[in-house]
Amino acid sequence: MFWRMVVKALARGRSKRLMIAATTALGASVATAMLSVVFDVGDKVNQELKTYGANIEVRARGAAVLTELYDIEDAPVASVGLAEADLPKIKTIFWAFNILDFAPFLSTPAVFNPDGLPVVDAAPGASQTGDSSAGGQAGTAGPEVTVVGTWFSHHLDLPTGEHAVAGIVNLRSWWELDGGWIADQDQDLALIGSDLAEDLGLELGDAFGLDGRNAAVELRVAGIINGSGEEANQVVVPLAIAQRLAGRPGEVDSVEVSALTTPDNDLARKAARNPDSLSISEWETWYCTAYVSSIAYQIEEVLPDAVAKPVRQVSESEGAILSKTRLLMLLVTVLSLIASALAIANLVTASVIERAPQIGLLKAVGASDASVVRLILAELSLVGLFGGALGYGAGLGLAQVIGHSVFGSAVTARPIVALLVAFLVVLVVLGGSLPSIRMLLRLRPADVLHGR
Amino acid sequence: MAGDVKTARSTAGGQARQRTRRNWFWRMVWRSVTRRRSRVLIAIGAVAIGATTLFALATIATDIPRQMAREMRAYGANLLVMPARGEEYVPAQAKAAVDAVAGGAELIGAAPYRYQTLRLNAGPYLAAGTDLEAARTVSPYWYVDGQWPAAPGEILLGQDIVDWVGLEIGDQVELVAAAPTAPPAADQPDRPEGPQTPDQGGTGQDSGAGGHAGHSAAAATGEEADKPTDPDSPDDPEGAEGLEGEADDELVEDRSGTFTLTGVLSTGGSEDSTIMMSLADLEQLAGISGQLDVIEYSIAAEGKAIEALAEKITAEVPSVAAAPVKRLTQSDTYVLEMLRSLLGLIAVIVLALTMIGVSTTMIAVVAERRTEIALRKALGASSRSVEREFLSEGLVLGALGGLVGVALGFAIAQLVSLNVFHRGVGFNWWLAAVTVAASTVVAWVACLLPVRRAAEIDPALVLREE
Repeated sequence: MFWRMVVKALARGRSKRLMIAATTALGASVATAMLSVVFDVGDKVNQELKTYGANIEVRARGAAVLTELYDIEDAPVASVGLAEADLPKIKTIFWAFNILDFAPFLSTPAVFNPDGLPVVDAAPGASQTGDSSAGGQAGTAGPEVTVVGTWFSHHLDLPTGEHAVAGIVNLRSWWELDGGWIADQDQDLALIGSDLAEDLGLELGDAFGLDGRNAAVELRVAGIINGSGEEANQVVVPLAIAQRLAGRPGEVDSVEVSALTTPDNDLARKAARNPDSLSISEWETWYCTAYVSSIAYQIEEVLPDAVAKPVRQVSESEGAILSKTRLLMLLVTVLSLIASALAIANLVTASVIERAPQIGLLKAVGASDASVVRLILAELSLVGLFGGALGYGAGLGLAQVIGHSVFGSAVTARPIVALLVAFLVVLVVLGGSLPSIRMLLRLRPADVLHGR
Repeated sequence: MAGDVKTARSTAGGQARQRTRRNWFWRMVWRSVTRRRSRVLIAIGAVAIGATTLFALATIATDIPRQMAREMRAYGANLLVMPARGEEYVPAQAKAAVDAVAGGAELIGAAPYRYQTLRLNAGPYLAAGTDLEAARTVSPYWYVDGQWPAAPGEILLGQDIVDWVGLEIGDQVELVAAAPTAPPAADQPDRPEGPQTPDQGGTGQDSGAGGHAGHSAAAATGEEADKPTDPDSPDDPEGAEGLEGEADDELVEDRSGTFTLTGVLSTGGSEDSTIMMSLADLEQLAGISGQLDVIEYSIAAEGKAIEALAEKITAEVPSVAAAPVKRLTQSDTYVLEMLRSLLGLIAVIVLALTMIGVSTTMIAVVAERRTEIALRKALGASSRSVEREFLSEGLVLGALGGLVGVALGFAIAQLVSLNVFHRGVGFNWWLAAVTVAASTVVAWVACLLPVRRAAEIDPALVLREE
């Protein structure tokens, strides 16, 4: 009997029920979309913040300017650097998945030769030793330039069997190139900074020569880097070429690493100062959280004789921006949840009050308060559930729209969102209907029936 | 009853009757609003919810990116003022002129820098002379273990220097400056110089660390060498030869001074191997004055605005060239655009849904007054007059709800802004007007359909229903 009444009531007042269902669906979809986005937004914004560049810098322990200062023509130069072959190990640390990109750098001086041919006395080591441009041989040597060798989009085969691509193509997202990037295999292409290109009178496609302390190479300008940073006065080449010029095969001076990190808190700061000062459990917590200091520590563990430091300019700032963005999204989500909850509750209240005559009639006929409440709640719950389920589906779709158009990636559908939305809908339906039902039940049936 | 009674408009009596009719009209509207209080509150509530959401989200979506742009100044200087092409230094007096052009609410800080190679324990290091207070504002990510220098004669040393040389906070260090008249390049071929030293802002470090490194190219006029070869060796051949070389060519003495180390600076960038001291101290020690290598500016504005400002400075102030730090300005713009599109999209979705919810509520509220409409019609009111009255009610409710919504929405936006950025948000009058207008329109439209439908039904049918 009870259910027959519910079903009949639902069937008859269809348009009104539809409206309640529609509003509940709308509210539920807002709630679902916002909740889905807010759980993922932290990670997605963190990814976007990687555009600022590397947040960890790795150098050889005790790296110094030994090579340039104590250069002796015949003796091999003992240099302090990191081994290029060790670099893939960076992707094997505990937080390997957080290492988004990295690139090694090797810097060496070379004499610029506009003709593309080696300098007059053609012995490989014919470059000046630490001399500046003004001095040296009689007029045939050109100015000295800084040559930086690095990876562009270097393909890595990791010890774990996976593949990765690392290099400055992503790390230097702010470089504006006339021309284009070069590939790591190119033996004769180079990028030139705009200021240097202007000074040397070089344009795209020009050929020139570089005389390093160990070898001489002929290169062609494949791209000009516009900007006012360091690179404006440098020649950027694939790592192999720089290693050949410097006579340091298989070596790099430093590595820049871009990692996804968790913003620092007190534990992280304490650990950054001195990891040994942590207790065992603190150490485990710190190690197993992607703080920039723990990732740097783990890199030091895998690279022999390396010192890894957080680049505070990037790591501190991105931490601050990330926390603020998360908080903002949380507040906006709460705001939208309240708005949709109120909208649903409002309509539910309105529809209950609208049913005042029916309630009055039921009571006049002798129904108990409890059964009236049960009847109305049953109807509303069914309608609410139906609307809520519709809304959940629509909300998931909306969340994907947000994810794809803002971040270009999908938003993961989490079960907890479904639970929260269901809870919200139930709460709102109950909260919206019970007070008004109770109010109506308190009135005298006669008044209610007469519409007073 | 305020029915449609035909009146003669031309007579005085006719005019008085018209006035009475208008009075009645509004009195009825007002009475119907105040009598069914619960229903009215529900309707206003619905509109207010929509208006609050609209105003709060719109204010947030427009204001927050501006606040976030200010937060991004944590990354450091985003505009550099360097010597014009062909010049070696920025004249110190140019700073005032640049400040005038760049000044305004968005200027966070301006720090002038002068670089000089100094010797500490016979090892050469790069020293930077700057306005330390300003540097602290421009580069908030600098971490100083110890105290910032407060008095003349106090300096900061980079972490790497302290580790290498083995110093502690409170130690006295002697810094030696080469005599200002000896040009280093020509006279001392063996001096430890080299713009190519890998540590001189080796690209890896500098490009990653921006800021100083970005313009150390300007200082790479042969005066740099970051790390010592062997600080413990008293027979540092380079240092000794350099000194001798100087002594041979010109009888000038090196100038030295003793300074107190008050704090250790660590940033993970090129500052870690730099001596940081006040500009006055450096100028006095090295015997130079009035010349700067670069002035760093931190300005809370976005990419395009910074580029325009850089061009303006280059054009208006003689002997300087300004350039944005592309790494920061481009990334700032990228992240802010992302934030804008995120907030904008969320605002649109939430608004659309809330407005529809508002409409359905309004429709429900009006639809249940069918009996009332039918009664009026049975008593002789024309469809049009009934429509007009109900729609006017809708307008009033919409306007009231809109006003309430603006007030609440502003409170909420203020709450969010204070909590996240610790700054208030401005009241956007235009947005407030749009909100009230939108609420009125939505309420009006939501009333339109049910009223029209109800007014067309045969009153007898409606009155007969329960």
